[in-house]
Amino acid sequence: MRRWLALLKGFRNIFVKELKELMRDPKILLGMIIVPLIMFPVLGGIMSFSMQTAQEQAQKASVLVLNNDDGDFSAILISNLSTTVKVFVENATSPEEALSRNLLSHYNSTQFIEIPSGFSINMSEHLAGNKSVKASVKIYSVFSGSGMFEDLSSSMFDYFIEGFNRQFQPNIVYSERSSIIKGEIKNVDPRMLSTLMLSQAIAMPITIMILLTYSMQIAATSVAMEKEEKTLETLLTLPIDRFAVLMGKLAGSIFVAGIGAVTYMIGFNFYMGSFTSSFSAGANVDLVSLGLVPSLFGYLLLGISLFVTLLSALALAVILSAFAEDVRGAQSLVGYVYPFLFIPSFVLMYVNIESLPFALKMALYAVPFSHPIIASRAVVMGDYWTVAFGIIYVTFFTLAIMYAASRLFATEKILTLKLKFRGLRKNKKEPVE
Amino acid sequence: MSLGVAVETVGLAKDFGSIHALKDLNFKIERGQVFGLIGPNGAGKTTALRVISTLLLPTSGQAKVFDLDVVRDAREIRKIITYLPDEAGVYRNLSGKEYLEFMGRFSARNRNELDEMIRQAADICGLGERLKDKAKTYSKGMKRRLLVARALMTKPKLAILDEPASGLDVLHAYHVRAIIKRYVKEHEVTVLLSSHNMLEVEHICDQVTLINKGIIVAEGKPEELKERYGSANLEEVFAKVVGFA
Repeated sequence: MRRWLALLKGFRNIFVKELKELMRDPKILLGMIIVPLIMFPVLGGIMSFSMQTAQEQAQKASVLVLNNDDGDFSAILISNLSTTVKVFVENATSPEEALSRNLLSHYNSTQFIEIPSGFSINMSEHLAGNKSVKASVKIYSVFSGSGMFEDLSSSMFDYFIEGFNRQFQPNIVYSERSSIIKGEIKNVDPRMLSTLMLSQAIAMPITIMILLTYSMQIAATSVAMEKEEKTLETLLTLPIDRFAVLMGKLAGSIFVAGIGAVTYMIGFNFYMGSFTSSFSAGANVDLVSLGLVPSLFGYLLLGISLFVTLLSALALAVILSAFAEDVRGAQSLVGYVYPFLFIPSFVLMYVNIESLPFALKMALYAVPFSHPIIASRAVVMGDYWTVAFGIIYVTFFTLAIMYAASRLFATEKILTLKLKFRGLRKNKKEPVE
Repeated sequence: MSLGVAVETVGLAKDFGSIHALKDLNFKIERGQVFGLIGPNGAGKTTALRVISTLLLPTSGQAKVFDLDVVRDAREIRKIITYLPDEAGVYRNLSGKEYLEFMGRFSARNRNELDEMIRQAADICGLGERLKDKAKTYSKGMKRRLLVARALMTKPKLAILDEPASGLDVLHAYHVRAIIKRYVKEHEVTVLLSSHNMLEVEHICDQVTLINKGIIVAEGKPEELKERYGSANLEEVFAKVVGFA
């Protein structure tokens, strides 16, 4: 019994000491408790806002109806549809003609319904008792690869047709769906395409998130280790340009992170392939023939975008680690950048940046880590300007950070800078003996 | 007989915010001398060494190394000095030899020169076959010997050694001091070293400067100082100078 009491006493003493040590460390407090408390509500807020926006947009959406039927039932269908959404009607127009005449952009719509000729006749036959005859409508939606909530507007049609059928007879009208990809009609259900593309939309942000996190840790550790072991002091007194020291360190981190990224991507590709291949086999969706894989130029742009972002992250990590005295301090400091990495990644996984309000959109564009994710989607859709803009922006950001890093390395600040967490003031009172 | 001045500081001061680490430091080091900057912890020794080795900028005053100004001619100074920081580490995953090669490449003009440097360093540190092992397997004494060898192998005009025998046991410290003494004689290297161990300085330095709270409190040859203050060793001299004894 006495032994147990002694053990408990020892345990309690250590436990209380640990709690004091850990909870009084502002880096741990901020990184482990405050950041998640802020990050997740922010994420949740953005997600629910995006969902709401997508729903509102779906309700506000206008629909073009290509009416090729001259019967009464098509008139009823159009009239019913008008009560739900804003409807524009074009008579005797084929889908191909609608596209060639740019009718979608003319009516500011992203989808149209074709009521084929014979619609009313089929309805009448079905109602007369010939159940084998059914009427159909064809729904064409522009596929933008914009994320999780892209389906919302197209699912609205399901409810509408269900409601229309309820008015007459169950299953009297069925819908066929096609996608409009890069201005061409493809016989693929956009809902299926969205699901398939979503798996890819998740893969890229996760890969980028891990790659950037990993490389920032490497770079920060590499500088902090030199500071901790005082090998940096030795390096800085050698007959070598300090910019070369900085670049050498960055290049080393990039190389290791690059190997990590490649192995990670290979592994992740196998993982994603394990279910996308079975999915696409079943659904007969071939992304290559649909033009939904990046071109060689697209891959090149994506690679450049990823590279400049990686460089900006590494330079940032080097600067932050200059404020730390040791490896632990550097890793904690780098941790403050993670919300800027995680939030855009999570948001852009599910939400089209264009659907966000202006301020939020600008905030996401301002974060350099958003750009490779935006680029990964844009190259699929052939939107190279967006990628190019991102590359230019991140390059300028990187140059600014690199300049700051090189200035830091060129002066004594690399050795004397320390960040005081209370008030985040630079601590200049620390003597260096 | 004077061979000329290797290092000269005039009114050298360094502030860190409101802390005055160095105040009006004036001293000269003759070429080929082993010069000791000695004082207790926090006296400003490391700061002085860092300024002279171009790591820190002086707040005011001047420091010159072989007539080169530490601010204006920092790049040139780095070509003729080596600096060994106090409690410095080595790259854990490099072998001793790889570490020496890495450091040597910054100064060596060709492979032969590099090989000669490595041979010198191996001789100085006396690590033998252990040079092939990763540095993380070395004891503290072995690491320090490797670092001292690194600082001397390039035959710098000025070797700045901050507490060269810090944290070492008696035998290792003795070995490191012996290395420095021998090397200086053989290659006419000027050495500026700092130490808070005043007894060890007595054995190795030609000239010492006692520093306390950023200012020089006494200077001279060890024997002269002992005589001047009627003390048995430099420790006593220091205590008398700062009013402890």
